[in-house]
Amino acid sequence: MSEKKQQVSRRQFLNYTLTGVGGFMAAGLLVSPLRMAIDPVLQKSTHGDLANVSLAVGDITTEPTRVDWKIDQVDGWYESQVSKSAWVFKDENDEIQAFSPVCKHLGCVVSWEGSEDFPNEFYCPCHDGRYYKDGTNVPGTPPLAPLDVFEREVRDGMLFLGEAKPKGEA
Amino acid sequence: MKWKKEDIKQYVQAKEYIDTIVIPLIPFHLSQDNELEKGTFQSEVLSLFSNEIEKELTGRVMLLPTYHYLKSVNKEPEADRLNKWVEDVQKQPFTHIFFITFDSSWKKNEQALNGTLLWLPGVSSGDLHSKEMHGVIRNQVEQIVELIRSYW
Repeated sequence: MSEKKQQVSRRQFLNYTLTGVGGFMAAGLLVSPLRMAIDPVLQKSTHGDLANVSLAVGDITTEPTRVDWKIDQVDGWYESQVSKSAWVFKDENDEIQAFSPVCKHLGCVVSWEGSEDFPNEFYCPCHDGRYYKDGTNVPGTPPLAPLDVFEREVRDGMLFLGEAKPKGEA
Repeated sequence: MKWKKEDIKQYVQAKEYIDTIVIPLIPFHLSQDNELEKGTFQSEVLSLFSNEIEKELTGRVMLLPTYHYLKSVNKEPEADRLNKWVEDVQKQPFTHIFFITFDSSWKKNEQALNGTLLWLPGVSSGDLHSKEMHGVIRNQVEQIVELIRSYW
C-alpha cells in the first residue's frame, strides 16, 4: 500500500468535489433559519430583568423591611442608575411578598408602621393614606388602589426583584 | 412634584393636596480658585438632597427650580427677590414654603425671608457615589422629611 500511490479516479474526484461544494451551499442556506429558530434564546433581555437586591431569603422575616437597590435604566437621552426600593417580608403562608413603597394616591413613599396611631399598617406621611399588611388600601383613606407588587424570584437563596406591577398582575 | 410638564399636569388636577413648596438656594461663583471644588460639590449634594426629599414626599411637596446667586453678594436684595417668588407661588393654594441651603449666611437673614429656612451644615468633601455617603444622605433626608412633616 505504501509503495503504491493511491489512485483517485476522475469519477471519484468529481464526486468528492461536488458533494463538498454542495454541502457547503446547503449549510450556508441553513444558517439563517437556524439562527432564527434559536433567536429567543440569544435575545438579551433588558426590560423586565430581575435584579439581585442583596438580600438572602433566610434573612427575610415576617416584619416588612425596606430594601434598596440600583438598576441601570436607559431613559430616552441618557443611561442612568436608578435607585429602587421595596418592602419585603414573608406572609402567613411563608411566601415572600415585595411591595412597592410608592403610594397609589400621589406617589409619596409609604413606610411600614410609619405612624404610631396605626400599627401593623403601611402609612403614607403625605395625606394619611394607609394600607393593610397585604397591600390593600384601607377604605376611607386617600389611596384608591392597593400597593404595587414586585415580580420576584429566588435564585440560589438570594432574592431577585423585577418590576412593580399593579396587584393581581404580578 | 417637580417643575416638569408631567408633574405639573398632575398638580393641576390635585391642587388641594399639594400645599408645600421647597426652594433650594445654591450659591455660585467662579472667581476664587481654592473654593471652586467645595462650591460645586456642595451644589451637587444639595441638588441630590432636594431630589431625595421630593421623592419621599412627592404627593404633597413641589420642588421649585433652584435659586442660584453670587456667593459674595449682599443677601438683602436676594431675599427681596426670593420674596417675589413666594408672592407669586402664593397665588396658588400653598401654605408651607421651605428654603433649603448649605450657605450659613442665610441664617442671619432668616427673618427677611417669607418662609422657613432649613439650613444644613454642609458636607464639604467626599465621594458622592460612595456607600458611606449614600448612608449619610439617606439618614439626613429622613430627618429633614421628619422636620417638614412636623410643620403639617
